Amino acid sequence: MSQTRTIVIECLRFHPETDEAPYYQSYEVPFTEEMSVLEGLQYIKDHLDGTLTFRWSCRMAICGSCGCMVNDEPVLSCQTFLRDYHPARIRVEPLAHFPILRDLAIDQTDFLAKLESVHPYLIPSTGDDPGDQPRHQTPDQVQDYLGYAQCINCLLCYAACPQYGLNDAFTGPAALALLHRYNADSRDAGKDQRMEVINAEEGVWGCTLVGECSEVCPKHVDPARAINQNKIASTQDYFLRFLKPRGRR
Amino acid sequence: MNQPRTYTRGMQRWWLRRPSYRFYLLREGTSVVIALYGLFLLAGMAALAVGPGAFETWRGLLFSPLSWLLHLVVLAAFTFHAWTWFKVLPLTVPPVKTRRFPRGFTDATLNRVALWAWGVVSLVILVAAMRGLQ
Ligand code: SF4
Ligand code: FES
Repeated sequence: MSQTRTIVIECLRFHPETDEAPYYQSYEVPFTEEMSVLEGLQYIKDHLDGTLTFRWSCRMAICGSCGCMVNDEPVLSCQTFLRDYHPARIRVEPLAHFPILRDLAIDQTDFLAKLESVHPYLIPSTGDDPGDQPRHQTPDQVQDYLGYAQCINCLLCYAACPQYGLNDAFTGPAALALLHRYNADSRDAGKDQRMEVINAEEGVWGCTLVGECSEVCPKHVDPARAINQNKIASTQDYFLRFLKPRGRR
Repeated sequence: MNQPRTYTRGMQRWWLRRPSYRFYLLREGTSVVIALYGLFLLAGMAALAVGPGAFETWRGLLFSPLSWLLHLVVLAAFTFHAWTWFKVLPLTVPPVKTRRFPRGFTDATLNRVALWAWGVVSLVILVAAMRGLQ
């Protein structure tokens, strides 16, 4: 049995029915070596204060619902351990740059709309129907998109991106990484439909390469790379449009 | 259903939140120095177009102690900016290209190769320019 110690967890609280603005509330939480920040929050909810609201599901860094700021760092709370902060206190806040719905729960409506805008699914070319045959891809072709397919929509990258915080019209890291994931897939023929999103001021050009999205991503998706490769694609597209006949972009 | 009231926290002093944000601002700040120096060189060209007198005045500006100091600052800004530029360069290389690289050739290798190439080219230009001055 590992030994129990106590840590202070300071949570940002906000209940829209009663609170004008968010405020901090501290809890003393007993914890053991293997307890995550999420389990600390669950302890608070079960034993100290049932009104604390936060999201979680899988507890194993797969569902992407437990993202929050711990000491200003966007993290998955199920993958972050209390022992790494003890004896200092920790401050847990909802993901930065998003509207706060309630305590640690943020409103992802904006992201979901953006996700939809990038057509995040395979768009085969017309007449390209393999029937019930499998589609073949070489290992290289799989490598082209596999990394970008690991995204769990946790939104840590948006919380790390000051450009999104300053102007939320920016399509943002995860949506652009997913856009690239489908563009980079050899089975896909939907590039033209996605080009508009890429080329927009709020598309890849909204990125100034702060680079923090790739630093905080728990799945090593590297959105910064996806976005910057598409800056080149967007530039090429811009010049090619003058060369190619109309309507055949 | 009524939309619940939400609270959005602002971006006040966002650069204080992470050291990497300050590094980013420093990087972008140096590009302003580079732009200003570009304008200064442009002024030299304009002076040349105006006539020998104007150009000599502009050239005279170069040799004051203050100019030496500013040039050192500008050199530092240029070097820092170029260094960060080469650091992010690998992000822009598509995998189709990187696939042709030998095995074990990582972002870091590409970064190093680019830095060396930059160093050598800069040296060649510097030597050529020094010879031209004599
Ligand atoms: S790109 Fe990474 S950080 Fe961003 S939502 Fe996807 S998994 Fe999370
Ligand atoms: S609870 Fe699913 S990612 Fe943390």
